[in-house]
Amino acid sequence: MTGRPARVPRVFPLVLGVLVLGVVLASALPGVAATAAPSPAPGTGTAAPPRPGQTQFQRGESLYQSSCASCHGQAGQGSQRGPTLIGVGAASVDFWVGTGRMPLAEERVDAQRRAPAFDEQDIDALVTYVTSFGGDGPAIPTVHPGDLTLGREIYLQNCAACHSAGGSGYTQVGGQVAPSLLEATPVQVAEAIRIGPGQMPQWPEEVLDQGQVDAVVTYVQELQRLPNRGGLDLGRIGPVTETVVGFAGVALLLVVIRRLGKRAP
Amino acid sequence: MITRWMVRRLDDRLGFSPVARSGLNKVFPDHWTFMMGEIALYSFTYLVLSGVFLTLFFDASTTRTTYEGGYAPLAGSEVSAAYASSVQLSMDVRFGLVARQSHHWAALLFTGAIVVHLCRIFFTGAFRRPRGVNWVVGVTLLVLAIANGFAGYSLADDLLSGTGLRVANAVLLSIPVVGAWAEFLAFGGEFPAEAMIPRLYVVHILVVPALIVTLITAHMVILVRQKHSHFPGPGRTDTNVVGSRLWPGYAVRSLGLLFAVVALCLLLGGLVQINPIWLWGPFEPGSATAPSQPDWYVGWLDGALRLWPAWEPIVFGHRLPALFVPAIVLPGLTFLGLYLYPLLERLMTGDRAPHQVLQRPRERPGRVAFGVAALTFYGLLLTAFSIDVVSKFTGIPVYLLIYTFRVAVPALPVVTGLVAFVLARALRDSGADGFLALTWADVRGALRRRKPVPEAPSATEEPREAAPEEPDEEREPEQAEPEPVRVPAGPVP
Repeated sequence: MTGRPARVPRVFPLVLGVLVLGVVLASALPGVAATAAPSPAPGTGTAAPPRPGQTQFQRGESLYQSSCASCHGQAGQGSQRGPTLIGVGAASVDFWVGTGRMPLAEERVDAQRRAPAFDEQDIDALVTYVTSFGGDGPAIPTVHPGDLTLGREIYLQNCAACHSAGGSGYTQVGGQVAPSLLEATPVQVAEAIRIGPGQMPQWPEEVLDQGQVDAVVTYVQELQRLPNRGGLDLGRIGPVTETVVGFAGVALLLVVIRRLGKRAP
Repeated sequence: MITRWMVRRLDDRLGFSPVARSGLNKVFPDHWTFMMGEIALYSFTYLVLSGVFLTLFFDASTTRTTYEGGYAPLAGSEVSAAYASSVQLSMDVRFGLVARQSHHWAALLFTGAIVVHLCRIFFTGAFRRPRGVNWVVGVTLLVLAIANGFAGYSLADDLLSGTGLRVANAVLLSIPVVGAWAEFLAFGGEFPAEAMIPRLYVVHILVVPALIVTLITAHMVILVRQKHSHFPGPGRTDTNVVGSRLWPGYAVRSLGLLFAVVALCLLLGGLVQINPIWLWGPFEPGSATAPSQPDWYVGWLDGALRLWPAWEPIVFGHRLPALFVPAIVLPGLTFLGLYLYPLLERLMTGDRAPHQVLQRPRERPGRVAFGVAALTFYGLLLTAFSIDVVSKFTGIPVYLLIYTFRVAVPALPVVTGLVAFVLARALRDSGADGFLALTWADVRGALRRRKPVPEAPSATEEPREAAPEEPDEEREPEQAEPEPVRVPAGPVP
């Protein structure tokens, strides 16, 4: 660069700096917002320790009144903030509370899978109490080892369109998401099939018999422990991540030829 | 000793030594970007080798059979022979899965390298006379590579590729007037036709590879005949070629690249899963899986399909289905534009002279702007093929993403094209080494439509004097090496 006057403000480092700063800020901001304003939790999962001599029913009642009643009503009749629980059945209560989706972390947000707010005994107590409201919703299903091949067939016909063939979940219209099945327990999978939580359709006994549900549950378990044949599984979402890796491969080969060749004179 | 004796006996009978001598003496330019096409060549070599292995186990037929291999969730299922043999070769054949996966990865590298090579040719003006012929051959190779990739991953008859074939079928049907005829011609019947897989197989392993081999040969013969172009530099003119001879200098480098490409294919094939067809399951017309995307080289068309609104205007009494514009008109115009680009540029600039010396991209800001805008356009379309996956992982609603892309796809290329134009002009006018050496004054000058450098278009191709005083750490070892070889340019006599 001889013969050129010294150029004082160099444009590109500056532009790059601004860009990098912008990206860093943009990625940091949602986190900041989330920590700065903790959302009001309508039904927090903070349960007082059980009193000695309390029956399971009483324990369920006290948990219900402290964590659920503000939305679902004192007697499970529902309110503007939450649907009725009369007749939902044991499977429903066990599924929603057992997957940590209830109590809601934040009002008016899709229920997300979290660590459950209550331990197993407390969930059982809640199930006992809520089923006492009446109705004949599905009971908590029992699952047995089923036929793997049949399970694969049913899964690919009925479940893969929303939950993806690999079980890693998929987006739905309107910002909804069919969640990943890779963390679900066998009983939770069977419960979801029977009760149809959220947008999911319901498969009662007349549509899928016990053997078929067992088969699906067995296949989902197989998906969860399927050894990664062929190496790293890239999220089991197909060509999107494969494209990223493929481009990285091309970039690597460009580095190779850059090292093999020379620069312009 | 024995080799020498044999070579001599053979040469007595065949007389190939003059050809071999001139071949081994061929001069290759040393610049690294001249090896981009070689990445594609070696990926293709690996594709042929691994593909031959795969044909030994693949059964291209839609006949229903019962899978009885080692993959338990499929055991006893009645599936097509194509799917059963694909899973079998993945699960039960030694080296089968590595071969299948590395074959697929090599296809991604092959198409990727072709596009990178195309960009190099484009931005340096290597397509100018006399190389328009080879440009046409190269673009045809790109089309064939894309077609063969699509045919290849559709062979396994799994649910994902079946969805892709269903889309391709619908695209054919969307052609006005002849759609249904085209469908029957290509698929041999209404979807899903039995003839589909065998036809794709013949196309994938015979017709297109034969065409690709022929055209690669033509590409190379033309290259040898016309000799390489080279970048401007001291002692480099339109009448010579500067670089290393094939033997011993260049051959070693090129072999190194061959090993690197094959190693990368095998490493990816062994360590990173691609297209796990056992998870997707066999294709059933009534089933679907999600997310479903094609491979990246078809992905830009998939992105266009996702973004194109559901307008179905009636033209001359025929309804134009919403698939027609993004899936037929768009690729048609794309490749037409690619084929005709050298001609269009010749018409625009009036530059008809033959060239051996390449241009630095900055010498043609207009071309840079056009190229960058086009890359942005197709890059955005390719990104749009992943909107459902992006939505899943970010929580942004799908429709918001679609509307955003519908604005960005036409708008952003204009912006990036303009920015590229200004920067290229700033680089050209200031003579700065690279982007990092640009200053505000350079950019402002380029924005102000500075008077063009008083040089005729042909004069800009004169060897540009590089700054020799610039202390460059890269240059030090190079000066110790022997002088590059210079030979006259032009067709071999």
